[in-house]
Amino acid sequence: MILRAGNSQPPVRSGYEAVGFQGNASAKFCRELGRAAMSDTNDADRFAMIANVWNSKAKGLVAEMDLKIERADRKGVKIRMPFNPVFCLDEEETILHGGVLTALLDSAFGLANFLKIDDIQTMATLDLRVDYLRPASSRADVIVLAECFRQTRHIAFGSGKIWFDTDDCKEVARGSATFAITRGKGSLLDTMKTRGPGE
Amino acid sequence: MKLSDMQARCDRVPFFRHLGFSVTEANHTQFLASMPFEQRHIGNPLLGTYHGGIIASFMEAIASLTVLDDLGSPPPKPINLTVDYLRPGLPGTLNTRATVSRKGRRMASVETVAWLEDEGKPVAKGLFHFLLV
Repeated sequence: MILRAGNSQPPVRSGYEAVGFQGNASAKFCRELGRAAMSDTNDADRFAMIANVWNSKAKGLVAEMDLKIERADRKGVKIRMPFNPVFCLDEEETILHGGVLTALLDSAFGLANFLKIDDIQTMATLDLRVDYLRPASSRADVIVLAECFRQTRHIAFGSGKIWFDTDDCKEVARGSATFAITRGKGSLLDTMKTRGPGE
Repeated sequence: MKLSDMQARCDRVPFFRHLGFSVTEANHTQFLASMPFEQRHIGNPLLGTYHGGIIASFMEAIASLTVLDDLGSPPPKPINLTVDYLRPGLPGTLNTRATVSRKGRRMASVETVAWLEDEGKPVAKGLFHFLLV
């Protein structure tokens, strides 16, 4: 359903009215939703920009992981990592080393923080906890879903899960992390946009 | 357990080659290893510091070696890990000491510490659980 601010059409009767939103209250609700929808459009551009900056400045391990951002918004990120034999535990190259999944979670949390918090100046991982739910024995792409589920002035809390892109989508790892952040003018993202790696 | 044999075992693991560490000390309950800094280890593109995941992976790798009965043992199954990041992982050779806290018949718990130049100023500490069966 697309709603725009200032919509002159009478509001569509919805479940909200049934639970007590009547008359003006319902119209007000629709206007608010409309404004939210409009700001969503602006946000979409912003999220795309953040994902783009994050991806284009990738260096070292993050570049090596060859990540494809499939979804990036305030609710979190969904990132695909293609199979890479370099990250394997066995000579036959069929099982990923758990450390790669840990690294993937750490990176995904970082991006999720950027999307959720507008004015991050600096960010550092404080701690990271990962549960390996089953062996990562597949050559399928790896999918990670990560979100920043709470932020304060100084701390961001993240949670995420990893599965292989196979028919059964079995979860292979789950992780959580906390980040120390500083917030204010001159965001890290702007710095990333204007400065090349290592400058 | 000879160091050269242990290193040869490590060098057969693709991801361990990617990390590029050398085991410098190995006994029943404690392992020491060092890892020279490489561009591929970078996490923060602006600062050029280690990726937190590389530090965790290095510590996990060394932790997993400490619980092996002998060189022919299959790798232990990692259950979970907790890493405490204490200082920035500045570019430089990273060292790790892994110490077995407890090794039973089915489970093992290993503590690790990683540092750049001064072991008294650790970059990170880790706690790793492994399933041995």
